Amino acid sequence: MDVKRNKMKKTVIHKFLALVIAIGLASCDDKLDLSPAQSIDEGQALTTDSNVKSVLVGAYNDLGNGSLFGGNILRDSELLAANGEIRWAGTFNGPREIFNKSMTVNNADVTGEWLQAYSAINIANNVLSAIDVVNAADRDRVRGEALFIRGVLYFELVKFYAQPYSAGNVNSNLGVPLVLEPTRAISEDSQVPRNTVQEVYNQVISDLTTAESLLPSSNGIYATDAAAAAILSRVYLQMGDYANARDAAHRVITSGNYSLTNTYAGAFNNDNNSSEDIFAIQVNNQDGVNSMNTFFSIPSFGGRDGDVDILQAHLDLYDPLDDRLDLFYMGNGAMRSGKWNNQFGNVTMVRLAEMYLTRAEANFREGTNVGATPLADINRIRNRVNLPSLLVVTLPDILLERKLELAHEGQAIHDLKRLQGTADGFAYNAPEMVYPIPQREMDANPSLVQNTGYGN
Amino acid sequence: MKRKLLMFFALVFIASGLWAQSRAITGKVTDETGEGLPGVTIQIKGTSQGVFTDADGQYRITVPSAESILVYSFVGFVTQESQVGNRTNINIQLMPSVTSAGELVVVGYGSQIKQDLTGNIVSLKAEQIENTPVPNFQQAIQGRTAGVFIESENGKVGQGIKMRIRGATSITGSNEPLYVIDGVPVTTQSQSSSSSQTSPLADINFNDIESLEILKDASAAAIYGSRGANGVVIITTKKGKAGNTRVNLNIQQGFSRPTGKKDWLNAEEYIELFTEAAYNSDLLEGFDPINNPADYPGSWLQFAEGRFDRYSGWSDWRNNETDTDWQDLAFQDATSTLIDVSASGGSDKTSFYISGSYSDQDGILIGNNFQRTSGRINLDHQATDKLKFGMNLSLARTINDRVADDNAFATPLQLVALAPITPVRDLNGQLYDRPTTTYYNGLIENEDAEFITTVFRNIGAVYATYNVMPGLKVTAEYGIDLLDQNEDRFWGKRTFTGQSVDGQGFSRWVRVLNNTSKVYANFDKSLSNGHDLSVTAGSEYQYSSTDVTSVTGTGFAVDDLKKVASAAEITGGTSTLTQFSFLSYFARVNYKINNKYLFSVSGRVDGSSRFGENERYGFFPAASAGWILSEESFLSDVSAVSFMKLRASYGATGNAGIGNFGHLGLYGGSAYAGDSGLQPTQIPNPDLTWETTKQFNVGIDFGLFEDRISGEIDYYVKNTEDLLLNVPVPGTSGFNSQLQNIGEMENKGFEFVLNTSNVRTTDFEWNTSFNIARNRNRVKALDGDQELIDSGSSRWLNVVKVGESIGVFYGREFAGADPDNGDALWYLNTPGSERETTNDFNAAARVVLGDPNPDWIGGLTNNFRFKDFDLSILLQFVTGNQIYNGGGGFQSANGDWFDNQTRDQLNRWQQPGDITMVPQARLAYGNGVQASSRYLEDGDYLRLKNVTLGYNVPSSVLEKANLRSLRIYMTGINLATFTNYSGWDPEVNTDYRSSNINQGNDFYSAPQAKTLTFGLNVGF
Repeated sequence: MDVKRNKMKKTVIHKFLALVIAIGLASCDDKLDLSPAQSIDEGQALTTDSNVKSVLVGAYNDLGNGSLFGGNILRDSELLAANGEIRWAGTFNGPREIFNKSMTVNNADVTGEWLQAYSAINIANNVLSAIDVVNAADRDRVRGEALFIRGVLYFELVKFYAQPYSAGNVNSNLGVPLVLEPTRAISEDSQVPRNTVQEVYNQVISDLTTAESLLPSSNGIYATDAAAAAILSRVYLQMGDYANARDAAHRVITSGNYSLTNTYAGAFNNDNNSSEDIFAIQVNNQDGVNSMNTFFSIPSFGGRDGDVDILQAHLDLYDPLDDRLDLFYMGNGAMRSGKWNNQFGNVTMVRLAEMYLTRAEANFREGTNVGATPLADINRIRNRVNLPSLLVVTLPDILLERKLELAHEGQAIHDLKRLQGTADGFAYNAPEMVYPIPQREMDANPSLVQNTGYGN
Repeated sequence: MKRKLLMFFALVFIASGLWAQSRAITGKVTDETGEGLPGVTIQIKGTSQGVFTDADGQYRITVPSAESILVYSFVGFVTQESQVGNRTNINIQLMPSVTSAGELVVVGYGSQIKQDLTGNIVSLKAEQIENTPVPNFQQAIQGRTAGVFIESENGKVGQGIKMRIRGATSITGSNEPLYVIDGVPVTTQSQSSSSSQTSPLADINFNDIESLEILKDASAAAIYGSRGANGVVIITTKKGKAGNTRVNLNIQQGFSRPTGKKDWLNAEEYIELFTEAAYNSDLLEGFDPINNPADYPGSWLQFAEGRFDRYSGWSDWRNNETDTDWQDLAFQDATSTLIDVSASGGSDKTSFYISGSYSDQDGILIGNNFQRTSGRINLDHQATDKLKFGMNLSLARTINDRVADDNAFATPLQLVALAPITPVRDLNGQLYDRPTTTYYNGLIENEDAEFITTVFRNIGAVYATYNVMPGLKVTAEYGIDLLDQNEDRFWGKRTFTGQSVDGQGFSRWVRVLNNTSKVYANFDKSLSNGHDLSVTAGSEYQYSSTDVTSVTGTGFAVDDLKKVASAAEITGGTSTLTQFSFLSYFARVNYKINNKYLFSVSGRVDGSSRFGENERYGFFPAASAGWILSEESFLSDVSAVSFMKLRASYGATGNAGIGNFGHLGLYGGSAYAGDSGLQPTQIPNPDLTWETTKQFNVGIDFGLFEDRISGEIDYYVKNTEDLLLNVPVPGTSGFNSQLQNIGEMENKGFEFVLNTSNVRTTDFEWNTSFNIARNRNRVKALDGDQELIDSGSSRWLNVVKVGESIGVFYGREFAGADPDNGDALWYLNTPGSERETTNDFNAAARVVLGDPNPDWIGGLTNNFRFKDFDLSILLQFVTGNQIYNGGGGFQSANGDWFDNQTRDQLNRWQQPGDITMVPQARLAYGNGVQASSRYLEDGDYLRLKNVTLGYNVPSSVLEKANLRSLRIYMTGINLATFTNYSGWDPEVNTDYRSSNINQGNDFYSAPQAKTLTFGLNVGF
């Protein structure tokens, strides 16, 4: 009897085990190997010529992000330099804090610009790391474009997150961290300290100079040698290196590839680059974003509620005959700039008129007449907007012309700082005029030192 | 003939030699009144063989031997066992159970008698949730289950609901439990295209639910392995029972209003406050436009008065011609309708349950509605003595008319931001928009936009169970959950979105396929000497894919043509696919000695595509033991104690609730200027794997005075290791965060459940059920020395901080207005000068200000029955948590910008010496509007959650009408809420940013609905 029971037990257990094993075998392991459908492995991304070129396009896409040249850094430059000429009348508190010069360390725009800029820089670094994969014929161009993007962004970062070059002490004032290699993994090495202002400027000049030497003169809507030279002229101007600024601007003008648009209005709200655009972020209704439209324009043109009002103090600066005055209009209860009324229009990064103004100023300061006299360059700008030619030109004339010509295009705070001006009672080098290092970055990277006035 | 056939089968069995003395038993099962009980399960103990009683309570079953024990069980009655012996006729009277110790409880891949459980499982029955007038069953169980925290994001119908079983275990992974419906792990992730979530669980008609089990501890949940760490909710739908066909018809009609409103400035107060604010800003800048008219041009005062002119449209603000109550316009008088029919029944071999249901519920916000039409058929067939198979199938369609996310100007409740001096319409009857309205007028969205989400949901399973031999049964099951969703959005020419592009249309389709196949065996054996063994083992494979296709078009000829086909230009379109799979092996062994000592060991091996190749498989074991003290001799004499059991469990469960492909280093597609691009999107982590939660649980179940008093007390400690954490990395790397397994979190708590039968007479019964639970969540460690994960936001305060609960509010502590000058002040909170104040926001140190996680949650249910009347009252409470109003910087900002303000802003500082928490009104100066404790409040509340009063027409009347039952009832939901929270409603977490960390936030979030319904329930 006992034997029988044991036997039965054994049979049951055997059957049970056999069953479980059978079930186990029925399933198989490779069902766990699934691949994403919208992404490719990073190993693949940098292995072929066409993939690396696609990654380069990705870097341009980041450059045109709303936080960067899609518009916010242009907007915030204008807001910091408002000085009673414009008013932030929108509901967002990020731009309001910038406008009020009372930024909190977790200001969303300050954080966004930082993260997006470094994201684009990392892409550029990835392209540079894989430059050998690119077809020899295109290698210089691709490298030049990546350096252009990196140089442009370090220039923006150092202008916003550090004391201005004009404040001196450039070898001790902290700039931003320089990261020149692509990120492959996160480690202690990722906690990069800040470089000095001078080191960052040196890198910017190196990147842009190399870019200018590598880039072709004609490159569709992408960066050209002239684009690199145009930004270089800005860098030198910011540093007070007028001779180099003048020469860079002069190289752009003499390239012959750009011409002023017939009318002032023709330089704005363009679906395609105008003859005057040296470099512009491409926006259409499928990709790209025009944040300047969002904030400077009104709902009927795709903007928000008219978040930036143009005040009388600004309008009073214009000669009543000035065509540039005609671009302002009354909308949603206040005066608006008419430069940003195309929701899907390109966002110009740099245009030819600025090169004439830079050459004029630099020639004037240097006492030279490279390319043209300062008077001739200024009158060229004035004549387009139906203003009479001046007979003599002074530095204030040149600077006013520059201010009016480039109004609300994102140059305001940088000109103000290099000219050591004030805005809304804040000196060009006041701590309030410098962004804080974002709180999230301070928390994630103990090697960073916060800017003066923003706690530790 | 039938008898002969049986004899034949009996002979066959005898011939087989294994089952001598096999024979048929007949009998009748009656209830406490002696009436026949249909549908009682009679099972031969230790086997899966069983039958049901017929409509009169009669049954017939063939048993193998005289030693066979028959188990009689029926929901709501005490299970009885009876050894067959020499009898051929066994009549049994079942007594209704006060406690549920004898009930059968569904566990993973099987069921168990509650008395034998060694894990912690809450079991809810159909009657506790049926006919509750809410869209989602989670809302119906709120306050009824100890240790389960349920919170709706807001009062929009069909939207996201948070459920936390014994606290949150993860920072980045999901904290929602696994939901298993009739054996199928179902899709619960929101498929919404907007950042506010929808709830795929709202597709379930919960009147079909027979029971709902919540597995809370490791012992119960370990069999679900890498997805058990947040608990498991097992839903079992109704099945038919042998006997006459029963039909139930239920009709309900209800009405809803918001639970709360806020007080806003009227036109006169608005003008007063903003005039003062503008003038103060002028004075601050050294101008005095009132006393010195030359200062007026260009002044803030001029600017404000210009705005008043603008905002008042055709009317004159100087004499308060218009005084609009925008808040009232955001709400509607909501109605709801429910019609529900079901039929169930069956023969000895085949049983069925079919149902059809239609419900239509308005949200309390204008333009918000949720409709569900559903049908179900559950069919079971005993083909042979050994083979049983069946199928469950449900199909539901839900149509949700949605409104924009909480952070959109288009959402109805953002109407409160508009100025009371603004008329709703212009003189032509058109709705005013900007620039007359301060912001976009959300009423335009209601008139001229659509947001319709339609879901077809098909959940079903086929199964077959084969009795290989006595005690051994094998079940094979294939289940499918198909979610097919379409979102149709349209913005007309007058809307915010459609204005500049001449109308915009958007259509998006989502198909989520989720299928599961599994095979498992249950083996039950009564060994000699009172030892019982029960083994379950099997394997399961799950695969899920999500396909999404969408298209956007702009430029519509007229607003009546809403489909993208009429768009002039297609401006966007995409199609994506994502997928995941799980391959699992699981087993459980239960061992019982003399009905006193209980042991259980279970475990699961899980592999998942979601994890890195280095860490693809995980093992999750658990063990538990129980000791039924009341079976011991030393307690059997204590008459007061009718039942007592001690239990303890320890085990590991996992959490695999992260996105797919988190371990890979990826580049995603992008585009620039019409050229396609590639961008790095994710940094790789080949070591990525599940997080593991180790949980210890100890508990006692007791019944006193013949179970007139019964209850459960549990204490638990849950430690989660290898947290799935999106670790913030230096942005200079080009990335924001990396998903890592790092950090530790702990949840500790206790739960107490008490059920009492206070009065039990023929005419009057009174039962009380009370539950209360405390959970304490602590983040123990993050990445190395990392102490803090910041919100990265200037408007919100939630962070993760070591030593604190997840999502604590961390920021500057507001100190009110400076009595001297009205500046906003904050406490420095720096070492040594904690209580000193500063008017420099950045100078104040950040401190922990509050916690969105409640300390105590619970509910109290009182059920009364007097003759044919019954009354049920459920009170639900949450205490110890805080709520942060992210809208405070706009709504309660002492006139910082032109948003209408809450009335408490009239307490602003006005002259030196004023002591107030509201700083001086200053237009555009941001005086105290930064995120700080200023906008943080206690969120405790006590709510009259559910009151139901019913009348059951007596059977004497019913018989004449040929009806089985007739009930008329009235249910009230959220009829009263007691809270000090000054917002709309304390049950809130704004939809557009709700997450594990971002909890307890209010941002123009709709309050819950207060609902009153009337219903009629007929059975025949």
